[in-house]
Amino acid sequence: MTDALLQVRDLTIDFRTPAGPVRAVDAISLDVRRGEVVGLVGETGCGKTVTALSVLGLLPPSARIVSGSISFEGRELVGQPEKELRAIRGSSIAMVFQNPTTAFNPVFSLGAQMRHVVRAHLKLQGAAADARIDETLHAVGLPETARVRRSYPHQLSGGMLQRTMIAMALLCRPSLLIADEPTSALDVTIAAQILELLRSLQEREGFSVLLITHDLGVIRRFSDRVTVLYAGRVAETSGAPALFAAPKHPYSRGLIGAVPRANARRETLVSIPGLVPANPGSIVGCAFADRCPDVIERCRLERPQLVPVAEGHAVACHVAAAAAARSAAGTAPA
Amino acid sequence: MIRFLIRRLAGSVVVLLGVSIITFILARVIPSDAAAMYIGPKARPDDIARVTHQLGLDQPLPVQYLTYMRDLLRGDWGTSIGTKRPVLEEIGGRLPATIELIVAAMTMAILFGVLLGVLSARWRGRAPDLLVRVGSIVGVSLPAFWLALILQVVFFRNLHLLPLAGQVDSDLRFVNPILPVTGFVLVDAVLGANWQGLGDALLHLVLPAVTLAAYPLGLVARMTRASMLETLDQDYIRTARAYGLSERFITYRLALKNALIPVVTIAGLSLAYALTGAFFVEIIFNWPGLGTFVVHSLLNVDYPAIMGITLFGAIGYVVINLLVDLIHAWLDPRVTLA
Amino acid sequence: MAAVIVAPAEPAMPGSAARVRRILARDPLAIASLVVIGVLVLFAVAGPFIAPYPEQGAGASSVANRMLGPSQAHLFGTDELGRDMLSRIIIGAQGALGVALLVVALAIGIGVPLGAIAGYRRGRVDAVIMRTTDLFLAFPPLLLAMAIVAALGPGLDHAALALAVSWWPWYARLQRGTAASLRERPFIEAARAAGVGDAVIIVRHIIPNSLGPIMVQATTDIGTVILAAGGLAFLGLGASPPAPDWGLMVAQGRTFILDQWWLSAFPGLAIFVTVLAFNLLGDALLDVLDPRRRA
Repeated sequence: MTDALLQVRDLTIDFRTPAGPVRAVDAISLDVRRGEVVGLVGETGCGKTVTALSVLGLLPPSARIVSGSISFEGRELVGQPEKELRAIRGSSIAMVFQNPTTAFNPVFSLGAQMRHVVRAHLKLQGAAADARIDETLHAVGLPETARVRRSYPHQLSGGMLQRTMIAMALLCRPSLLIADEPTSALDVTIAAQILELLRSLQEREGFSVLLITHDLGVIRRFSDRVTVLYAGRVAETSGAPALFAAPKHPYSRGLIGAVPRANARRETLVSIPGLVPANPGSIVGCAFADRCPDVIERCRLERPQLVPVAEGHAVACHVAAAAAARSAAGTAPA
Repeated sequence: MIRFLIRRLAGSVVVLLGVSIITFILARVIPSDAAAMYIGPKARPDDIARVTHQLGLDQPLPVQYLTYMRDLLRGDWGTSIGTKRPVLEEIGGRLPATIELIVAAMTMAILFGVLLGVLSARWRGRAPDLLVRVGSIVGVSLPAFWLALILQVVFFRNLHLLPLAGQVDSDLRFVNPILPVTGFVLVDAVLGANWQGLGDALLHLVLPAVTLAAYPLGLVARMTRASMLETLDQDYIRTARAYGLSERFITYRLALKNALIPVVTIAGLSLAYALTGAFFVEIIFNWPGLGTFVVHSLLNVDYPAIMGITLFGAIGYVVINLLVDLIHAWLDPRVTLA
Repeated sequence: MAAVIVAPAEPAMPGSAARVRRILARDPLAIASLVVIGVLVLFAVAGPFIAPYPEQGAGASSVANRMLGPSQAHLFGTDELGRDMLSRIIIGAQGALGVALLVVALAIGIGVPLGAIAGYRRGRVDAVIMRTTDLFLAFPPLLLAMAIVAALGPGLDHAALALAVSWWPWYARLQRGTAASLRERPFIEAARAAGVGDAVIIVRHIIPNSLGPIMVQATTDIGTVILAAGGLAFLGLGASPPAPDWGLMVAQGRTFILDQWWLSAFPGLAIFVTVLAFNLLGDALLDVLDPRRRA
């Protein structure tokens, strides 16, 4: 199955601020195919979460989609009326949030919150609703389903809550699950369990996952393809093994170098000097130029476009694209 | 639950002991000539000496306090100087009218306050929001005693829509009297199937209840708005949106429950306010409740009555606070009654 | 009472004067309330020079002009002794604002030091002080004040004292919260580590750094105190005739309300407008202190 489930094309989003509009997402394109896990990686504030929220039509009132399209299962989502989007939210596209302790309403039991979802989308009530809830709770490894349903969020641990959140996401058998930093609020061993759970559920149920994280370790373990964002722009997009084996964009190289690995020697730990620009929309050239070790004059004058450098691998970098072109020319028959 | 009640009641007893000390000091220690005040302006020296002894005012203060407490617990709250009847009886007889007034006012204040607060939050920054924000500040700025007079001028004198004062029309007493059963006029009218009387009593209730509702309405609307805005900003509301629940459901079924938790506290406080507020309203509308009795007692330095009312008010407030805690526990599972 | 409307849970940092001005300048309601308060202060300071009939404002009667309705000569009409109502209201501003300032100053004077000690020292001192505030707050609003005035005897000074005695616990609670959180801040811990005495820390660091919330509370409270004092006066527990007290004037005009409505209507309006102005200003100041409240 290689047909695109979610297709984001040149998505551009501005935020209204007292100081004028700030571009949070700048012409991002992104594909999620059926049954695959796509990682969306980048630093805090690079536009990952805004992109995810825009897919669900849940941007805050101060944000505006300037241009671009988001198509899901062949339907355009940008500009859809609220009612249409609501039918998709939680049913075809479900979301798992970062902090399970604040993502559930403290004054309703978990069962009640899941029943709200079942009733809204599956039109199931009472015992039928509970039966569906129990199925998904079982699936996420919470066999004491009745106890979980009766519990209030403050009565369960973060790990159990995140499992419950995943169960809630599965209620309506979504074709796409958006997981926004699903493990960063959990401690390391719990986080690993949650990731394994997501992976096995994904393999069994066959849904697609858009995994948003700043943690390349999570991406490496769990995704098929990766899109690296920097300052609201796509820096590089590639199959996950290819990216980790040979990152092309200097920013990706920096990120991968900055990931501590158990088997890595200390001196390979690299950090990227400098800060993410505050309003990248105003930058003429490459947003990463000021922090880039390979910067050339062209980087500051002309914005690099996403250029394919291999099958399924594209990079937005003048230097990397030129290098790829050279090596391609070198190996091609004259 | 039972342990919670016992602990809370124990705490309340401590507070009420302290309150009784304060009222005791006000009644017996501060006035230099308490005995003379008990008798009234025409006190003769030998009367004063006799009453001083009768009241035990020649005893040491701790002994006086213990006697005072013993009498309170026995249900002897003293005898009103003004009416020569036991204070507790006076309070009990007038309480139903005051309770009817307060219940009517608070029901209006909470219903409309919550409704306006929610509307204001949903239309944040727009015209309805501005209207509610200013309106609620107006509500808490209106002197009840002035609002009452203005409403009388407008609705009785100018528009001839509503009666001037009283709990029922005086003619009704002869034509079709409401027979006392519980002491609550509205309840008694229903029990006696006296629909004419019920309608008349309700008409008489409108202006006093509206006057009394203004302040609590403003408080509740403000608190609901603030609390609702904070709730709508929470992660769990975003979750509800991300799961396709409708805005209407999110606002009224989910967020409102979260938002009501602090509103309950404010409603409890405004209920206590309404107790004193009712005094003013009752005087102006000639309402046969506690208010008239209190004000007469205050002006005529009727100490047993004043102390009785004060203590009674404090007890009422303690009960209200207990109810507020119980409602909190019912609304918010994180609050445990252990 | 109004004390509860405000009471921010966390001490907000007092904004710089420039920031306060900038934010208030954008809020038309805040400007309007400042204008009203300015006019009132002017009345309070220079009432006799502004009032059209200053001697009537102070109490002199003019029986020939009894009960005149509002007209060009007497904008707010005249009362049962022929006194110009407008003049009485203008002269009365001094008393209204004076009592409110006195009550709030007394309440702050008692409540803030006690709250600062409770919040800074914690432990037993804290428990004793806070349980005491509980006792005072166990009475429904205004009931304790009424009982105190009854015990002391009616009069403006007794009313002010009674209001202050029933008001200080709000300031003690507010100040305690601020002090308790300031206590953990590095500059206070540094002072403590350097061996500075508790009293000095409280006076030099804790109290000056908690003035923001206290001032906001005081602004709203001035309005609420005017309301409460008006209520006491209306019941006959405050000022006595011929004082140009607004609450007293409403009470005196009550007998004539259906025919000579202006006798009660205008003094009551003065109370309402004054309280409204202070409440609006307090609300605007809250917006300044707490950026989350801004739309």
